Parts: sequence; structure tokens; C-alpha cells
Amino acid sequence: MENDQPLWLTFIVAFVLMNVLLVGMAYMTWFERKVIGAFQDRLGPTRTGPAGLLQPIADGIKLLGKEDLIPRAADKVVFYFAPLIVFVTAIVGVAVIPFGGTVEIFGRDVNLFITDINVGALFIFAFSGIGVYGIILGAWSSANRYSLLGGLRSAAQVVSYEIILGLSLVGIFILSGSLNLRDILARQQEPLELGPLEISNWFILSQPLAFIIFLIAAVAETNRAPFDLPEAETELVSGFHTEYSAFRFSFYFLGEYISMIVVSLFASTLFLGGTDGPGSDRYWGLGVLWLLAKTILFLFFYVWLRATLPRFRFDQLMGVAWKVLLPLVLVNIVITSFIRLAANEGIPTGWWWVIGAGGAVLLVILVVQLFTSERESSAAPATVRQP
Amino acid sequence: MPWDVIIFYMIGAVCVLSAAGVVVANNPVHSAIFLVLCFFNVAAIFVMLGAEFLAVAQIIVYTGAILVLVLFVLMLVDPDDLPEFHAARPVQRYVGLLLGLILLLEVGVAILDRSVVGRRAVADQQEFTQIVDLVGGNTQALGRTLYTQYLLPFEVISLVLTVGVIGAIVLALPERLGERLYRRRGTISLGHPRGTDLALPAGPVGESPIAGPTPGAEVVPGGYGRRLIMARDPNEQPVIGRR
Amino acid sequence: MGEIGVNHFLFLSAALFIIGMMGVLIRRNILIIFMCVELMVTAANMSLIAFGWELNSLQGQSFALFTIAVAAAEAAVGLAIIIALSRRVRTPVDVDEMRTLRD
Repeated sequence: MENDQPLWLTFIVAFVLMNVLLVGMAYMTWFERKVIGAFQDRLGPTRTGPAGLLQPIADGIKLLGKEDLIPRAADKVVFYFAPLIVFVTAIVGVAVIPFGGTVEIFGRDVNLFITDINVGALFIFAFSGIGVYGIILGAWSSANRYSLLGGLRSAAQVVSYEIILGLSLVGIFILSGSLNLRDILARQQEPLELGPLEISNWFILSQPLAFIIFLIAAVAETNRAPFDLPEAETELVSGFHTEYSAFRFSFYFLGEYISMIVVSLFASTLFLGGTDGPGSDRYWGLGVLWLLAKTILFLFFYVWLRATLPRFRFDQLMGVAWKVLLPLVLVNIVITSFIRLAANEGIPTGWWWVIGAGGAVLLVILVVQLFTSERESSAAPATVRQP
Repeated sequence: MPWDVIIFYMIGAVCVLSAAGVVVANNPVHSAIFLVLCFFNVAAIFVMLGAEFLAVAQIIVYTGAILVLVLFVLMLVDPDDLPEFHAARPVQRYVGLLLGLILLLEVGVAILDRSVVGRRAVADQQEFTQIVDLVGGNTQALGRTLYTQYLLPFEVISLVLTVGVIGAIVLALPERLGERLYRRRGTISLGHPRGTDLALPAGPVGESPIAGPTPGAEVVPGGYGRRLIMARDPNEQPVIGRR
Repeated sequence: MGEIGVNHFLFLSAALFIIGMMGVLIRRNILIIFMCVELMVTAANMSLIAFGWELNSLQGQSFALFTIAVAAAEAAVGLAIIIALSRRVRTPVDVDEMRTLRD
């Protein structure tokens, strides 16, 4: 159950992981600029180093050299601490992500995870919930009305989408019978027989709806486009971090990117089998690479969204969460529990697909219903809105 | 000294100090921050007691609840007219302090003087952890208890939550539903703050709310981010700045 | 000092409860009173879990879970009451100024 290796070894693993995460975050900004550049038919950063690879370092040095301004009316202590809350809560989530099992490095057994707590998945939720405090307290302490509006938006958004995010995973918890990420991972490595084919039973196969909802909610949870209303530049002058400058600003920045990476790691672990992949049972390094590849896929998805979609309006944002995603996610839970019950009662796994197909048809009907009714109801206030 | 003792005293000290901070802090937002800190440490204590699931539930549930609380503080409270600690009622303070100390004394005596009465599930700690590990850990064990032994209370609790949610909605709903659209625009103002908005969309037909700062209201520069005021009554003019 | 026993946790719980109680008695701000009530509920939870820990039983934890649920319902209703008050009173923070249950 617990991590049974000596404490110093865990510290080393944690240290390595944290540094990899920070460097990864720095290069995430480079990746994002390059990809968005490609989307917009530009080159992105090219001047610093080969293909602009030194750009993140140059940015970091620039941010360090800037003057750290604090507004006169600001609540100083809260203003100091708020960015740190975002940063720390973002980085803590990585502690429960398994990068592999126990492997032998230099003749010593090393656990490729920091901790193996019983409630790993909920742990990540708890910390992402606390992360909002960094945003809203920073917004409040800036004594700036635009910041405060950004903070309020962020709070409303994260509270709504955290519910969706949590409920979308309930299906996985029902199927795997555990909240522990390593158990969930082990469960996904069991082979699934599909006639002659034998593939890994990743949860994206049995929980496709939950996967899509999780992706949407995760984007909202990390305040990324198209759900980046808390920092909407065009309406709120960057929202909650308007008054922040220099390294305090960069903590918000770091926090956002790290939480993106952590959510991507989390999603790959939950839905895409994490370290599972061809050859990963023989070489642990390959498993880590598989996990990274899947994570980069998710990160690309994030950037893709940002490059493609315009920002939501706030009432649309809340409407999607409560009127579309919540009913869908509840239907998913009900269907999944029926399937689990059927499996417990001894119906052979082949029947899962029949039940799944029936559920899918139901869902399609529901989705059509929801989206058409949504259009009608959103048309009504638009007429009232005319001045 | 063993590690768990040191850790307990560290966490306990932070707990008590931040709880005191909740009571003492002048600014309600600071109180809320202290409360979050306190609950976080309480969750750590829960982990020490082997209640991992509850620790996380504590953080998730209370974080959400208190976050909303902080929002209310932000929206409703003007730091300048807090009724706190005004000299009119010093009696209350002393009586409160005295009663608290008396209760502390009583509880202390009770704790030191008590003898364990209660049914042990199993004889010793080791056996207990074995049983818990057998079903897969604290979460699974708690789940089994809830869905077997406490099934009825569990259902009742879900009913309580439903009633609570419905009650909250009924209480918070405006008296007339027709005003809802108008109100929503003014309450948790998610668009432009009222009174500073140049092109404010009209409310219900005919009634035109103010455009531009309210005449007569003195707009205070700097620091008025903290006084986002809720529109309470459609007939009432929102006031930005000092009243 | 030695071992950490159930008494340590009980004392901590008592301290938190009493701080919360003092807060309710001393402060007049409705939001802070609200927070103090939450603090007291949490303190009670802690002693439930501590007893469960001492008795090697999960009953304490089950009760604590129920308490958390009730506290959540209480928070929802309490905040709704504050909203309802905020429609009538300008700054609904001083509990001593709210004496009537209806208009």
C-alpha cells in the first residue's frame, strides 16, 4: 500500500520529478508558441538558440529582471501569497501520478511514484480546488475592479466545473473499484478480448463519454481557452493578474502551465492507460516515454483549442456546465453502474458491448435533445437583450 | 521524540493559531483565509487518524463551501462599515471569553477523567489495519460500512442534502420570477460593474437603469475593487463608492 | 511526551470547538459567525474520528461523513438566508440588527 522505500530515495524521485516538471513547463510555453505559430502560418520564436529553443530561458530572465510593483491600495500579505498558492497547489498534484512500478536502478529498488495514497484521484481534485484561492485572493487583494471580476468569474467557473470533473470520473471509479491511481492503472493493463483481437482495456474504450466530458471540464478547470474568462484580455484587461508584475506574475503563469501538464498526466493515466503501451512491461523507460507521449498529445489538444476556438460568453459557460454536461455525466454514471452490476451478476463481457451500444443510442438521443433545447432557450433572452 | 509527535504538535499549533485567527481577524476575508488554513491542517490530522477519505472530503467540501463564503464577503461587506468590536458591547466579549474558558476547563477535566466506553470493532490496532487492507484500504472499508451497516442513514443524508439544496434555491430566488433576468445581471455582476458601464443593456421593457456613474455618488479612487455591491432591489439605485 | 494518544486529538478538538464557540459569542459579523459554526462542526468531526481510531472502528468515520454532509446542507441554506437578507438590509452583517423573522 504505502511507499516502502527509504525516505531519501523518495525525496530524490520527487526532486527529479519537480525539476523535470519545471523544465517541461518552460518548454511548454515554447511548444505552445511554435504550435500556435504553425496554426497561424508563422514561425514562432526563432531568434534565441536553434529554433528558438532558448526562448523560455530568455523569458524567465526577463521576468526576473522586471520591477515588482505592488498597488498602493493592495492588501500586501495576501498579495504576496496568492501567486504562491496557485503555483504550489499546481505542482503538488504530480505526487500521486504513477510513472511506473518499482524498478531497479543502479542495483536498488526505486519506486517511480512519489506516493501511493488510497485517495489519489481525489487528492488532485482537492488541490485543484484550493488553487482557485490563489486566483480569487490575488484578484481581491489587487484592489482592482477588473481583477475582482476575473476572480469572481474564476470562482464560479471552477466550482461548477469541478463538479463535472469529479462526476465524470465516477464511472472509472465504479469500474476499477478504487481511487488509487496505481490500481486504476493496473486495471487498464488487463487485456480485453475483442473476438480475435486482444487489446489493453483502457478506460477510454469503456468510458468514451466520460473522457470527452473530462477533457472539456479539465480545460475549464485550468482556465485555458476557450474557457479563459477569468483572464479575458479583451474584456477584463487580463482579469485577476492585471496588477501583478515580474516574478509574482510569472508564478501565476507557471501555475497555469504546470496545472495543464498535471491534468494531462492525470488524463493519460486515467483514460489512456498511462504507462501502458507496447514494450512497457519489459522496459520501464519505455513506459515513461509512453506516458510522456500521451501527455504531449493532451497538451497539443490544449494548444489546438486555444488556436482554434473563440472565448465563451459567461452565461454560455455556466449553461454548458449545468444544463448539458451535468445531465450527460449523470447518465454516464447510471449506465456504468448498470454495466458493473451486470458484470457482478455474471453476464459475460461480450454483453458489455451490447449494453454499451444501447447506452450510446440513448446518449445520442439525449445529446440531440439537450443541444436543440439549449439553442431554443438561448435564443429567447437574446431578444430581450436588445437595448 | 518520535516523528509523529513532532508532526502532531506542529499541525495542532497551526490549527489552533489559525482558528484563533478566524475569530480575531478584523477583515472577514482574512478570517476566511485563516479558516481554510485551519481546515487544511484538520485534514492533515484526519490523515494521522487513518481517515484518508474523510481528509480529502473535508478539503473538497469545505473548500467549495468556504470559497462561496469568501465570495459573499467580497460582495456584501464594505470594509468601512463593519460593525466589529464597537465599544457599545464590551460585556459580550468578556462574557464570551469567560464562558469559553469555563467550557475548556470542563472539557479538559472530562477528557482526562474519562474511561473508554464503547464497542471495539476488533481487539487491536494491527488486526484492524489488516481488515482494512484486506478490502483495499480506508475508502473501500468506509464504503462497505456506509452501504451495509449505515444504508438507511446514508439515504436519509442524501434526502437532507436534496432538501437543503431546494431550500437554498427557494430562499435565494427573487420574489417575482419576472425580475430574474434583470436581477441576474446586477447581482453577481459578471459583466461590467454597474454604474461604470457605458452601454448597460436595458432591463425589463421601459425601465432604463442608470448609464454612467450615479449622480451624486462620490467615486473613491483606488481600493474600490473590494466593494462590489450587489443590486438588491431593482428600484434601488446602486451606489458605487462611499455611502 | 511519548506516544500520541487519543487524548491529544481530543484536546485539539476541544480547543478548536471552544475557539469556534467564542467566535460565535464574541463576533457580530454574520459571515464570521458562520465560519465559526463550521469550525465547531469540524472540531466535533475530529473527536468522532479520534474515538473511532481509538476503538478500531469505522463508525466514527461514518458519522463524520454524515456530519460533513449536514454541514454542507447547512452552508447552502445559511448562505441562501444571507442572500435573502441582503435584499432587505443594506449590509447584512450585524446579527444584532437583525431581530425580525419577517418584514
